[in-house]
Amino acid sequence: MTLTLRQAKGAAIAAFLLGGLMAGCTGGGSTPSAPTTTPAPTTGSTPSPTTTASGGTPIIVGLVASENGDLAPWGKDEINGAQLALDDFNAAGGIPGHTVQMEIQDSGSKPEQGKSAAEKLIADGALALVGEVSSGITAQIVTAAQDKQIPVIAVGATRTDLTQGHSNVFRVCYTDAFQGPVMAVFAYNELGLRKVGIVTDEKQPYSKGLSASFRAAFIKLGGQIVDEQFYESGQTQFGGQVTALKSKAPDGLFMSGYFTEVGQIARQAHDAGLVVPMFGGDGWDSQQILQYGGDAIVGSYFCNHYNNKETRKEVQDFLAKWKAKYPDEPEPGTTMGALGYDAMLLTLDALKKDPTLDSKGLTAAIEDTVNFPGVSGNITLKGMHGNPTKRAIVVKLTKDGQIFAKAYEVADVQKALAAAAKK
Amino acid sequence: MSFPIMLFAGLDFPSLPQQLVNGLELGAIYALLALGYTMVYGVLKLINFAHGEVYMLGAYIALFTSWALGFGPGKMAAATNNPFALVVMLIASMVGCAVIGVLIERFAYRPMRNQSRIASLITAIGVSMLLQYGGTIFLPNSPPPNISENVNPYRGSIEIPIVPRNAALKAKELALLKVSDDDEAAFNAYLQRTGEGEFGVSAPGIPLRDAARASDRAYNQAKNAAEATGLVITVETGQAIIFGMAVLLMALLSYIVRFTPAGRAMRAVSLDFDSAALMGIDVNKIVVFTFIIGSSLAGAGAMMTATFLGTPLIPFYGLVPGLKAFVAAVLGGIGNIPGAVLGGILMGVAETLVVWAGYSSYRDAIAFVILIGVLLVRPGGLLGSAKVEKV
Amino acid sequence: MKTWLILLIRVVSIVIGVSACFGIDWMSHNQVAVGPGLHFAILPTNEYISRIFALAGLYVTLAVSLNLINGITGQFSVGHAAFYQIGAYLAGFVSLTYYGFMGLTGLPWLLAMMVLGGLGAGVAGFVVGLPSLRLRGDYLAIVTLGFGEIIRIIVQNVDKLGGAYGLNVSPKFQMIWLIWLLAFVCIAVCRNLLRTAHGLPFLAVREDEVAAAAMGVNVTKVKVVAFIVGSTFAGAAGALLAHYEGFINPGTFAMDVSFIILTMVVLGGSGSITGATVAAILLSWLPEFLRGVKNADGSALMLSDSSIIAALLATGIGVALIKRFLDRPPFKWRYLAVTGCFLGALVLKLVIQRLLNLSPALSVAHIEAGQIRMVIFAVTLIVIMLLRPQGIFGHHEFSLAWVKGIWRRLFPRRGVSA
Repeated sequence: MTLTLRQAKGAAIAAFLLGGLMAGCTGGGSTPSAPTTTPAPTTGSTPSPTTTASGGTPIIVGLVASENGDLAPWGKDEINGAQLALDDFNAAGGIPGHTVQMEIQDSGSKPEQGKSAAEKLIADGALALVGEVSSGITAQIVTAAQDKQIPVIAVGATRTDLTQGHSNVFRVCYTDAFQGPVMAVFAYNELGLRKVGIVTDEKQPYSKGLSASFRAAFIKLGGQIVDEQFYESGQTQFGGQVTALKSKAPDGLFMSGYFTEVGQIARQAHDAGLVVPMFGGDGWDSQQILQYGGDAIVGSYFCNHYNNKETRKEVQDFLAKWKAKYPDEPEPGTTMGALGYDAMLLTLDALKKDPTLDSKGLTAAIEDTVNFPGVSGNITLKGMHGNPTKRAIVVKLTKDGQIFAKAYEVADVQKALAAAAKK
Repeated sequence: MSFPIMLFAGLDFPSLPQQLVNGLELGAIYALLALGYTMVYGVLKLINFAHGEVYMLGAYIALFTSWALGFGPGKMAAATNNPFALVVMLIASMVGCAVIGVLIERFAYRPMRNQSRIASLITAIGVSMLLQYGGTIFLPNSPPPNISENVNPYRGSIEIPIVPRNAALKAKELALLKVSDDDEAAFNAYLQRTGEGEFGVSAPGIPLRDAARASDRAYNQAKNAAEATGLVITVETGQAIIFGMAVLLMALLSYIVRFTPAGRAMRAVSLDFDSAALMGIDVNKIVVFTFIIGSSLAGAGAMMTATFLGTPLIPFYGLVPGLKAFVAAVLGGIGNIPGAVLGGILMGVAETLVVWAGYSSYRDAIAFVILIGVLLVRPGGLLGSAKVEKV
Repeated sequence: MKTWLILLIRVVSIVIGVSACFGIDWMSHNQVAVGPGLHFAILPTNEYISRIFALAGLYVTLAVSLNLINGITGQFSVGHAAFYQIGAYLAGFVSLTYYGFMGLTGLPWLLAMMVLGGLGAGVAGFVVGLPSLRLRGDYLAIVTLGFGEIIRIIVQNVDKLGGAYGLNVSPKFQMIWLIWLLAFVCIAVCRNLLRTAHGLPFLAVREDEVAAAAMGVNVTKVKVVAFIVGSTFAGAAGALLAHYEGFINPGTFAMDVSFIILTMVVLGGSGSITGATVAAILLSWLPEFLRGVKNADGSALMLSDSSIIAALLATGIGVALIKRFLDRPPFKWRYLAVTGCFLGALVLKLVIQRLLNLSPALSVAHIEAGQIRMVIFAVTLIVIMLLRPQGIFGHHEFSLAWVKGIWRRLFPRRGVSA
């Protein structure tokens, strides 16, 4: 390299200026925030595999939610539910000698942002991470929690392989391995469909997993999948896919994606003359799907975790508390609200059971959960590898919202599949 | 040698005519947008990067107008049966976009007119970014709102029979429909009698349920068999309106450009900016005029897409259509008005054909592949000159 | 100058540069906190802050490499994120599947991955550089942008690379000093490219292609070389990114990244390596600073919508006013006038904000400070192009002569100069 004296001096000055600039930045940028990150220095730098909260300091439970983006409605519900759980927990006494706080970080409906949200929470000393509703984002939270083995309690993530191989990952909902067969049994037995077309969002691991599990179950029952068309979340024109499906003459359409696109596809399908029963998974559950789908989506079915018109005591109590705390919300006690409530309350209860107040002990305490009376159903995690046995509720979409259609326990689905195998 | 056979084996030829019609519908929107790009480029030799954002704002203006007319969240007005709301929204979008276009030209492009082309382009990129990301702050986007169906009195679809369907099969279909309806009625009567839920039938009801379902399936099969014969193109009424309006607007534009003094002046300015100024044409006024026309076309396109398709609106709504429309303009020959229309149609058809061929994941990539292909092989575009301008 | 002295200075410069890299690495992991009574303490920083240092270093490499293509050679490439992405995915995938190949692990592996990423991106740069021969500025911009999108879509559809889901890269190497070392090498290479006889053809091509060709410059070679060198560094940076974050997905390399890098180059001054470096550091740090500043209770700083609107309007008016005064002589009053306009714009912003707050809707609407970073980038780009298209540094580089020049301007010498 041919550096002249000028350049050498220049490089030296530049290097020192750079250093000065950076030091100035760090001082200015972080000092205002240092007093707020509790418990700050110890947990951030400890190389130990667990995160410990020392006595007397506030305990932080992290919540990753989509405050912005496509999944914002779910994120809001999740936050509302979790906040309600925290309030209930503290009202019931909380943990003596400690204050329990919930810190929320925005995942922006995106996996990479979810990852940095989780990392930020871990850096701030969260003992557990509650979230998220989307499998794609939850997968990244799990990766972030890997190093320190922080327990992750997924709220609505149903992709089956999320808990595989991880002893620190739990969920309060069912998996796609269950949801797919539920809809297959419902479509075959109840709706009497035999030739179904599948529409999959290939950008979402949730959708791909659900489509695969539906396909396997439906074929096992004796049905036929005439075609599978793909789209990507974010697209708005589905004319090509709709026309292709129509030419295969299906009896019904299984749409495994999220509500934003499902609504539009339903509309465009109807407009193209493809008027057949449509059904899907819990990705449909939102108030927006009626807005996006219009008349086309009315009369469709999808698989949900619970229905806010159930008469169980837990549901009624939950609805009463929700209406009291959030009187402005149009629909009380939505699914993600219920799941968020269950996830947070389960975690807090386990925290109470754990005397060591560190993430390792907390993981063990969560694993020990048996018959937790959740709003969304009874939750047992002991020996379940993170996947509780929950029942599924198939709901029908009407102009005024969701109405209960049929409930399926794990045993029901197994029976139906076994009966089909015998034929 | 077997590769082309493999390629064609999986294709579904009967649906091709319908897909071509889909492509035309898509192409009409691209054409409207491409006209804006091509006119501005012709006059200013500038790629108006912000045109996609003008489109996006047009859609939002239509949304807000629909809210103002009572079709908004909260108290939703009943489904209308007259086009009053549509007309108001169309005018609002076109006027609003025209205003926005003029403002962008006045404050971002005019000061850069004496600078290098790259400098203007960078400014255009900056304006585009500002509108998109500013939109994420000031425009409702989580969750993305959409225009309610109730605004649109023209629902349903139009069926255009090219080759009529087999009458015998149609008769069979209707017969099976009757059977299905009867079975359905029987099942419903049972439900009424026993008070059971549709999906909670007990043993005596199951045969009735299965019979209803089976006859419904048979009817559907017959219906599909009947529909498989002949050739009928289904066009959604909304899409037909979009296409019709697009054609109308393009005809209007063509008239303006060819037969009015302002249009003549526009052509003069695009031929040679300085000479036109020397000939006494007020170039500033003509540039503003160009932006008004281009932007209002985009506004019309945006309003129609957002209303008839009910697409959820996000601040990045115009990003991809904008890029594709630009490619369309280049394909047809940038600066060339008929070229923009041709390019738009071709882009729409190409994109739909990619989906038809089974490669729906690559539908956006095809636009850029076409772009690179055109620029390498024939930079002047289809209707432009074949020579390459290097300087 | 004696040979041994030159050699010594070169060695010393390199040592200073490399130790600066380690210094920055140390600073990214430790912060100096000043307590009451001027009591200093050195506390470890958290991952969040180290990440800012890492990203800043990567952006320096990206900005300087884009500057080589845009500023120095005068091409207009907007899709720089494509090379970044290719390098990241190539290195990430190979690390994931073949880690330990040929017995290489740890640092040598990472270096090998950097080279691999750079090579892959270099090939892509060659592919993109070729059409540049036939294309004018604005067309090239669109083609490079389109190329970036094609790469993103292709990667999104290849399941082996994780598709839209993303790719988790292991093992992770969070060596911030290496990131800055790459930046240092990039700066040095670009700097020296310019200083030698090899460098002048680049500038010639930028100024006037036809004249350069007439003078015997191989314009084709120059353009393609510029693309290859620029893309190679971007690819190496991508490799480092993949190993630092441990997770990449197509969303990380969306069009906004290309625009951010472009803004950095434009802000610093196309053609100025110093400018690109300074702007990259500034624009990497500023949005994180906004995000990091919190209120006393730890909640994120919120900016009201009315404040943002007022700031935008005031900026616009300020820019218009400054444009008016900028061309007026004399020298002294011009800068005074500009300062006056700037202060006036501040006052104007407060006034507008007060007025806007009268509307009930606007006074309650808030947004988190961190979310306006892209708006700030966009405004920066527009303001720079309107007011000072040559950027902060213009065509100047940081050098002793430059510093002397400024000194002399501020304190002009009377009488005979030495």
